[in-house]
Amino acid sequence: MDVAISISLMPLTRLLVPCAAVWLAASCGEPAPRHGVALEPALPRPSFTLTDTRGAPFAFGRETRGRLTFLFFGYTNCPDVCPVHVANVATVLHTLPFADQRQARFVFVTTDPSRDSPDVLRRWLDHFDTSFIGLRGDEAEVARIMGTIGLPPAVRGVAGRDGRYEVGHPATVIVFTADDSAHVLYPFGTRQMDWAEDIPRLLRVGRP
Amino acid sequence: MMQWWCSASGRPWTWEPQYYPGVWAMVAVLAIAFHVLARRARAMGERRLVFWAGWSAVGLVWQVLDWPVGPLAAGYLASAHAVQFVSLALVAPPLLLLAVRRPLAEALPDTGRAWRVLRCVTQPVIAGGLFTLVAVATHVPAVIDALMPTQVGAFAIDAAWLAGGVVLWWPVVAGVPARGWFSVPVRMLYLFLSTLVHTGIAMVMLVRDFPMYGIYELAPPWPAWSPLEDQRLAGGVMELAGAAVIFGIITVMFFRWTGGVAGEGAPAAPPRD
Repeated sequence: MDVAISISLMPLTRLLVPCAAVWLAASCGEPAPRHGVALEPALPRPSFTLTDTRGAPFAFGRETRGRLTFLFFGYTNCPDVCPVHVANVATVLHTLPFADQRQARFVFVTTDPSRDSPDVLRRWLDHFDTSFIGLRGDEAEVARIMGTIGLPPAVRGVAGRDGRYEVGHPATVIVFTADDSAHVLYPFGTRQMDWAEDIPRLLRVGRP
Repeated sequence: MMQWWCSASGRPWTWEPQYYPGVWAMVAVLAIAFHVLARRARAMGERRLVFWAGWSAVGLVWQVLDWPVGPLAAGYLASAHAVQFVSLALVAPPLLLLAVRRPLAEALPDTGRAWRVLRCVTQPVIAGGLFTLVAVATHVPAVIDALMPTQVGAFAIDAAWLAGGVVLWWPVVAGVPARGWFSVPVRMLYLFLSTLVHTGIAMVMLVRDFPMYGIYELAPPWPAWSPLEDQRLAGGVMELAGAAVIFGIITVMFFRWTGGVAGEGAPAAPPRD
């Protein structure tokens, strides 16, 4: 996704922010995120199993249950959206108290498994945070999982003369809260200051 | 697609040179105008050194507007944008004015609307106020994020900095119309006060916990440093380079003034008021 296009979508996102805030405040009586796009009805935390960067199976539903979880589908050769989105979340997570950082999980599912080997995925994620979880699966399985969440499947672009290609994918971070639901998603264009305002609120959603 | 002016494209940075005809046209106009005035200044006996300084300023304007600094500043690095600001607003204008102040004074009409506008705009209080307004307005995040993705907007910011710099430095360097009260110590005070603008902007950049400008934060990543580090670098450039330029000139003015050659710091142009 082109950054310029994404930036032009920011006003739309801003318009949708009040909807998210009002909806969450009314339905939950909890601190409502101020940014992002509201999901109505809330999206239940999905259950799927993929392979992590150590080669071990990772059951997303079980491993992240009850935790604030950022789920993102992208690929490490992405020139713009993926590194910026992941870096922005990582930067803000690093500013949180350690206890809050421990509550959060960032799960990155590659949409380009042929190039994103476990090592490549691990090295790329380690640039942002060594605790970030990288998952792989075959393209059909990842597409199926994306479908269950309501995301369109990733699309591989035409390779250039050098063999390089891009992968079209949703530029959206889905955030599951402690109540095992996603009430809001964050499109590309979400700023660090937006995350800094919302993550502490998201940490309190679904908690007594 | 060729762009006529550097603006934020959203594409990943490449070291493949890009061409900006608008930049070349603007620099050509500046160079021709400078050449014409410099020839007259030479005939008036102006020192050779100031012409070198003036041509250096033309070259500096070209370098910071053209590839690679121009596009980097437009859509990738706030620090490159800060280099542009310091160059266009604080370094180039005094060097250009220094070389051509005499023929410029000769060329200006001494009556009419243009003269009244010049008298008004170059009043130190008004000149300082205008520069402050330009500097602050062009660093407001909403303004930067709205203007930099468009070529016209990016051009407007660059042109505003150059014009704002000329307005700021005119009373100090050109001294036309002559103002008796605007003596060397007052000029030093004026320049010192003008540092407060970029110091304030730089401080905001340095102390913020998160990037201020969406255009740089959401740009395709620059491998060497993060957007926040880049913003702090931009603040450092504005603070240190800006202060070095202005305090350097204040220092020169001070020593000339205390050395009993205050006339060298005063405008060489004939009084027109």
